[in-house]
Amino acid sequence: MYEFLHYQVRDAMTADPITIRTDTRLREVEELFEAHDFNGVPVVDPHQRLLGILTKFDLLKAFCFDAHAMVPRYDEIMEQTAATVMTHDPVSVSPQLPLSRLLQKLVEMRTKSLPVVDGGRLVGIIAREDVLRALRRATATPAVPTHEEPQS
Amino acid sequence: MTTLLYTHPVFLEHDTGFGHPECPARLTAILNALKTAPFAALEWRDAPAAATEQLTRIHPSKYVERVLSRIPKQGYYAMDGDTIVSPRSGEAALRAAGAVCAAVDAVLAGEADNAFCAVRPPGHHAEPDQAMGFCVFGNVAIGAAQARAVHGLERIAAIDFDVHHGNGTQTAFERDPGYLYISTHQNHLYPGTGRRDERGVGNIINVPLSAGSGSDELRLAWQQEIEPALRAFQPQLILISAGFDAHYLDPLAELNFSEDDYEWLTQGILAVAADCCAGRVVSVLEGGYNLPALAASTAVHVKALMEAPRAV
Repeated sequence: MYEFLHYQVRDAMTADPITIRTDTRLREVEELFEAHDFNGVPVVDPHQRLLGILTKFDLLKAFCFDAHAMVPRYDEIMEQTAATVMTHDPVSVSPQLPLSRLLQKLVEMRTKSLPVVDGGRLVGIIAREDVLRALRRATATPAVPTHEEPQS
Repeated sequence: MTTLLYTHPVFLEHDTGFGHPECPARLTAILNALKTAPFAALEWRDAPAAATEQLTRIHPSKYVERVLSRIPKQGYYAMDGDTIVSPRSGEAALRAAGAVCAAVDAVLAGEADNAFCAVRPPGHHAEPDQAMGFCVFGNVAIGAAQARAVHGLERIAAIDFDVHHGNGTQTAFERDPGYLYISTHQNHLYPGTGRRDERGVGNIINVPLSAGSGSDELRLAWQQEIEPALRAFQPQLILISAGFDAHYLDPLAELNFSEDDYEWLTQGILAVAADCCAGRVVSVLEGGYNLPALAASTAVHVKALMEAPRAV
């Protein structure tokens, strides 16, 4: 487990993730969710600056009861752009952040993934699955045995 | 005690298209429940078509003409995203409004103590000049106007416990102190109206309830706001916009009323009616989209009407 303490976000994140623009239609976003196992997809400008994140919850939010229609209209909603439902100015993390601290943050925020930003540019995304994988990797090599443990 | 039931077979032919929640099966479920033994004493009457002069007390004649001209010979026509009509919808809409007028006439003539109108399409969202939210003509507002124009009533109250706010009835009533409109509904829901500060000329009482509200919030609203306002108004007739979509099983909203709540509320309204207006109540179906819940809720509502306390 000690090895895990040496990991940083950049060691476990998905680099150069798929991104969308503010004018991407929700229909395309839904197709991305269907094709990949994303929790959310970052929204960037042409310079790869992070503008927002669009999660599955944000997409579901578009179908909540509201004043506009008695019954939400699927086709109309799917033609809306990412800008209408994305979470603006999302919490992001630096690639140098110790993974142990990232883990803490995910748990405290009860969030499934966070975008990784370096020098104002989106460089990756880090999700619960990535942290779990890093935990397994960090502990795959046996730690120094304690003196109580029977020697093999 | 006599309770009249106004309905018509054409209400089952108002076809809103595949999968639409405001469907003929709603009425079939209700009528099947009302055909069982406990309801044998109901007096069934055919809903007549409203006359143009009855409609135009609320809707401009141009609107009435436009609506009827847009009823398609075949297929469907969408009056708005939610409000779909088909070849038999024109007659259904006319008979829905006509049912309320006939029920008002009968109750005010003393032919019965009260009446329930099992009608489609519903009416409380219909603005004077716009069909919306499954509604074509403002059935309850048209019934109120009938009570005034033909019977000379000066104070007519409408209580609307549908989960959606009855914007159309409010529009029809809001400048006229002879009408009182009281609505409980889920806030931030379609059609977006029904805020507390929409008070008309002091004759509109909106009681928006937060998602998740149920029995306790309803009873508090009745005791603290609705019953006092109703009694203070001293209505000569009470109309009910009886929507059952605040039920905890309804898929279009998030309030949690139960059959017991609908029975309790109906009994409360009837007690006020007994004190103020010789028990004269005309109730009119609005929404309600879980069929078993709709049938069960309507049944307890109608049963309460049949067992209404005698006027003192």
